[in-house]
Amino acid sequence: MRTKQEYLIRYKDGNLYCELADIWIDPSKPVKKALITHAHFDHFTFGCEEYISTKETAILLKERVGDNIKINTFEYGEEFKINGINISFHPSGHILGSSQIRFIFAEEKWLISGDFKLQKDQTCKQYETVKTDYLISECTFGLPIFKWDESNKVANDISKWITNSPEKSSLLFCYSLGKAQRLLNEISQTNFKGNIYSHGSIHKMNNIYRKLGIDIKDTIKIENKKKIDELKGSLILLPPSLSKGSYLKNFKNIQTAFASGWMSIRALRKRSGYDKGFAISDHADWDGILEIVKKSEAKNVFFHHGDSEALSKYLVEKESINVLLFGK
Amino acid sequence: MSLNKFSELFGDLDSINSTNNKIEVLKNYFSSNAPIDNSWAIYLLAGKSNKRFISGRYLKNLFSQIYEYPQWLIDTCYLKVGDSAELITLLLKNKTNPRKKKLSNISLNELLSETIPAISKLNEEEKNLEIKNLWESLPEDNHLIFNKILTGTFRVGVSIGLITKSISKLINIDEEIISHRLMGDFKPSIDSYEFLINKNINLQELNSKPFPFLLANTIEDKIFKNSINDFQFEWKYDGIRIQLIKRSGNVSLWTRGQELVNESFPELVEKMSHIKDDFVLDGELLVWNFKEQIAFDFSLLQKRINRKSPNRSIQIKYPIIFIAYDLLEINGRDIREIKLENRRIELEKYFSKWQIKTENNISDIFKICDLIFPKDWPDALTYKEKSRENNTEGLIIKKKTSIYSSGRKKGIWWKYKVDPMQLDAVLIYAKGGSGRRAGLYTDYSFALWKDKELIKFASAYSGLTNFEIKELDKWIRKNTIEKFGPVRSLKPEMVFEISFEKIQISKRHKSGIAVRFPRITKWRKDKKINDADSLDNAYELMKKIS
Repeated sequence: MRTKQEYLIRYKDGNLYCELADIWIDPSKPVKKALITHAHFDHFTFGCEEYISTKETAILLKERVGDNIKINTFEYGEEFKINGINISFHPSGHILGSSQIRFIFAEEKWLISGDFKLQKDQTCKQYETVKTDYLISECTFGLPIFKWDESNKVANDISKWITNSPEKSSLLFCYSLGKAQRLLNEISQTNFKGNIYSHGSIHKMNNIYRKLGIDIKDTIKIENKKKIDELKGSLILLPPSLSKGSYLKNFKNIQTAFASGWMSIRALRKRSGYDKGFAISDHADWDGILEIVKKSEAKNVFFHHGDSEALSKYLVEKESINVLLFGK
Repeated sequence: MSLNKFSELFGDLDSINSTNNKIEVLKNYFSSNAPIDNSWAIYLLAGKSNKRFISGRYLKNLFSQIYEYPQWLIDTCYLKVGDSAELITLLLKNKTNPRKKKLSNISLNELLSETIPAISKLNEEEKNLEIKNLWESLPEDNHLIFNKILTGTFRVGVSIGLITKSISKLINIDEEIISHRLMGDFKPSIDSYEFLINKNINLQELNSKPFPFLLANTIEDKIFKNSINDFQFEWKYDGIRIQLIKRSGNVSLWTRGQELVNESFPELVEKMSHIKDDFVLDGELLVWNFKEQIAFDFSLLQKRINRKSPNRSIQIKYPIIFIAYDLLEINGRDIREIKLENRRIELEKYFSKWQIKTENNISDIFKICDLIFPKDWPDALTYKEKSRENNTEGLIIKKKTSIYSSGRKKGIWWKYKVDPMQLDAVLIYAKGGSGRRAGLYTDYSFALWKDKELIKFASAYSGLTNFEIKELDKWIRKNTIEKFGPVRSLKPEMVFEISFEKIQISKRHKSGIAVRFPRITKWRKDKKINDADSLDNAYELMKKIS
């Protein structure tokens, strides 16, 4: 057994860090060199000297951080070297441009899963199985109560939810990057043929997705002064940050829903304050996590981002996989 | 197919917040399903059935056994979900796919009148097999309903009032009539549903049932602007609200929960049947201290409520009394539309007649409530403060000119409860909540000082805002000393003001005291733990009151 300091990748100040390459993965504070798995706000920070990511993530990142950042991009599967370590990005199926990152050093393989899902999603590349010795995986939904329905089933439920209340404006809250585009893609394949509006922040992301060749239905950018009658019977996509506060006063006769994996639990649904919850997630469910652990053939696994206690114990007891704890 | 429909209805009701929409959804359901299924739906929605066929623990064990899931994993999941039936439903999503068996379409009626009752007759092995079989053959969307009924935990945000309104809309008949028809025993059958939606109002049928109760609202300041003479004042007794009905010689005791409780109080039924008139009385049932002419504590009444056919010695040990405060019907004449002050005159008149004319002495089990006559509002306040001395909870203030309507109508009856007793206590344990509060630490235990030690004296889970609950939950996770299963012991640091209704000696508790209805009334962030009260303070409080 090695000590924590001897691992190729370890926790330092609450972030994943590779000392040999002096490089951070998705750091939460400004550093010299940062590998970015994807462009969600909780996976990067402003002010790093250099960013490294996939091409798509770089474009999304620039949209969020600004054009004047130094950013190096690599294709999926393309290997690059830092201090003798071979590094490569591989699709993680989470959102457009999202990636797992593999490190190879002295014949030892490390894989950081990033945020990932195995479910079908036409707006990004499918998750790719990568073999490794050490796996660092997220486990946001690491309990067997999480089992996702097929996304077209959820999309049909959403379509039914809107068409069953033709007198109402249906406000669906979802993350503006990734989830919104996936929902748009799925909903356009349902029976719902009414108008779809989206908030500026979502609209912007839609345009980037389209520029990058992803097929997304056209939506109308929502203006504050829309006529109530116009919105009746239509779907309006909004970021969750607008669900509380005065923004909703712009609408009359509404029903609200939140699209998130957490919505599969009734207590959370009730507490969320939305009328309805649709359980759809861009993270893997329990089976998904178990599947990648097995397929990666990792002998050693670390978990972060979530309740890892039960999942770790299960793998140790049932699958005899060595689950290690990071020193934080 | 109709179990699917009912599951859909449950899902809709669960996700709709607007009352009007709920009524609409219910109405549509009733108009498109078979009478027998409607009857069962009402039975379930009104919470008339909470019979537990199988415990949540049994269900969890069974799942663990069938699908080889470690028990600890199921327990961990439970902490997130907070409801056994839902937990198993979620876990089954993983296990029943892909299905080998053909899906079975059963109706709500079949499930409730055949399938589930049959399960409870099986031996353990057969029972387990049958439940597994149903899990694997019922459509996934029906699992939640099935598990909830099985564990007796079916609940959804629908009140009897909502069902009443939707039926009333469906057949266009007054809500009062429907509410009347829904009172008391509702046995699910085609007949009971047909009776409910019968457009002809059958008086005789209706006569056997109680009137909808009139409920009191918590007092509002605006009432003090009115003249004191506009109101009738009574003590607020802490017993069971009862409608005592005698029609055609038959006596029935109905609770507000629409339960017929004749069997628990046979001596009252017997005595009242000697009265010659027919009547409907509204009043309170109490265990009575005849020597001091005050009520005994509610805990003594509890010894009577759940005991059917109590023997003579129980009847003597816990002597009951019915205190009537209203007369609603006399010899077949409904007088609810008469003003309260006039109903009171009738009540007094008939009571004195019954006292003289009834062969057996009735006054050892039946009286009418005394009225109080405060001179002005400050005087009323003085009465209220005195209410603890006679074991009442405060005052009931009734508008003299009001009619007896139904429900919690504003401005007719007010309750003016005595201020709660309070102590400042230190938070020492927290436990995960269930249901809507699953995944959060919401059940708290509080302690008082005894010398240098903190002694647990009460548990409470209500009183904090959702925002405060979340804030405290975060604090709890960071300040845990030790975990014992779902319970965490905490660093003593947070002080809360705890209010309660009653305080008494208790040998069962380490602290030596027990309090009734403890609740959190303030998060005293301004106080340090040394500012919290001691057990001695609690004893003083007790002395002051008795």
